[in-house]
Amino acid sequence: MPRETFHQELEALVGDLLELGEEVKSTLSRMVEGLERRDAEVCRGELGIDARFKLRGAEIDEECMILQARQAPVARDLRLLYTVQTVANHLVRAGTLGEHICRVVVDTAGEEKEEALESVLIQMAKAAKELMDRGLAVFKSRDIDGARDLRAMDDEVDLMYAEAMNLIANPPTGNRGSPEWRAKAALVVHYLERIADHGVSLGNRTVFLVTGERIENAMLQYRERGDSK
Amino acid sequence: MRIFGETKERMDKRQADRRQGAPGEREVQTRTAPAVERAQEMVVENLSAYYGNFKAITDVSMHIRPNKITALIGPSGCGKSTFIRTLNRMHEVAPGGRIEGRVLLDGEDIYARDVDPVRVRRRVGMVFQKPNPFPTMSIYDNVVAGLKLTRRRKKSELDEIVERTLRQAALWDEVKNKLSESGTSLSGGQQQRLCIARTLAVEPEVILMDEPASALDPISTQKIEDAMEELKERYTVVIVTHNMQQAARISDYTGFFYIENMGDPGRLWEFDETDKIFSNPGRKETEDYVTGRFG
Repeated sequence: MPRETFHQELEALVGDLLELGEEVKSTLSRMVEGLERRDAEVCRGELGIDARFKLRGAEIDEECMILQARQAPVARDLRLLYTVQTVANHLVRAGTLGEHICRVVVDTAGEEKEEALESVLIQMAKAAKELMDRGLAVFKSRDIDGARDLRAMDDEVDLMYAEAMNLIANPPTGNRGSPEWRAKAALVVHYLERIADHGVSLGNRTVFLVTGERIENAMLQYRERGDSK
Repeated sequence: MRIFGETKERMDKRQADRRQGAPGEREVQTRTAPAVERAQEMVVENLSAYYGNFKAITDVSMHIRPNKITALIGPSGCGKSTFIRTLNRMHEVAPGGRIEGRVLLDGEDIYARDVDPVRVRRRVGMVFQKPNPFPTMSIYDNVVAGLKLTRRRKKSELDEIVERTLRQAALWDEVKNKLSESGTSLSGGQQQRLCIARTLAVEPEVILMDEPASALDPISTQKIEDAMEELKERYTVVIVTHNMQQAARISDYTGFFYIENMGDPGRLWEFDETDKIFSNPGRKETEDYVTGRFG
């Protein structure tokens, strides 16, 4: 008994999820732009958008629950529904963190800043956004090879995290930036690291979706195949 | 060497762990009481079944574990019912029915020359799709019908068997006050449970069920499924079902039968723990079938 309606509903659900992903990407773009250009105006438009993300996330959750109740999905369909729910969660959280950073940009617009730290923040913001973009692309195209690259990219973000924290704890002599900005910068560093992690998770979830294995096992099998060649 | 933050030692260890627990070797953990001795395993080796010149199934090997429910699923005409009928030598009753290969019950080939098929059918009982109580008999007589063919028993002994088997079939409470009424006075779902009780009365070791709930309403289906959960504490159960959710709900192992091309014989395409079949099956055709992409 082919279940065409159900599979159409699943496709529509994935479409909704990808739409949410595009919205989150757009917020993260504004976040990078705002940081890079010290542009409070571009960030002001994003304030409060996390409420919208949360609402969309809740709608997707509900749709998943209804499909589970009505269609009793199994195997690939079951993994897809589970993955959609977790991916939606990652997107909502990453988007919410992006909104928080935009708020910091707006709140600290008039504050004095220190350039070394600021440039690390900008670099890190670009890397975090790139990770989310790529994570979403991995999910969209089910590209599990791409999921491995995400982990390497995340290692770089972790290095920048350490660098930024070091600059916050041991500011260069001379211009240190205002205390308020320095405190907020620490939060931004933390948020960016979280956003990058959500990007990596999108890849991990995709590996589970495609292989049915957690990424550690899946990659192990990948390596075994490589060895036997 | 580190791969994705893992040392090679840890990965090797995990790999070894996984090998130890390779599918087919580990037992499914279930909540049932310790196995009773009666339940037997069945081992099928390279079984092919024919109707005359037509080969219905080919080269099926399967290990049916004791005190577990094994579900057989697959599209229509793929040989599930033929297969289940080979397990108690019912297939050879069909015109031109014969098999190749071996079917071992507790290590003995049920197709060996000196084996009496009637004895096999007593040890391996069968419940059919349509409830078929003997129409002229009372509920009580239906349950003990199979016993009366063997040897004389005391009334008290028969009473005990009737109550025990009707309880196991989850029917006792509904019929205990009308045991002398006709079996056909019961509803379809009750009749089917009566047939299960009748099968249990002769104390089989394995119970085969060919779509036992397909003609029943959801409540009766649920009662049959509940009864099966009880049954596996004492018996080995094999069930053919078209209801995939039923297979997912009740079985410990699932076998997927499939015909690759029209006219080919059916094959056992995949056999694994039910959890695996319904979450991450190993073969594409299995996945396409359980997710309703064909069939």
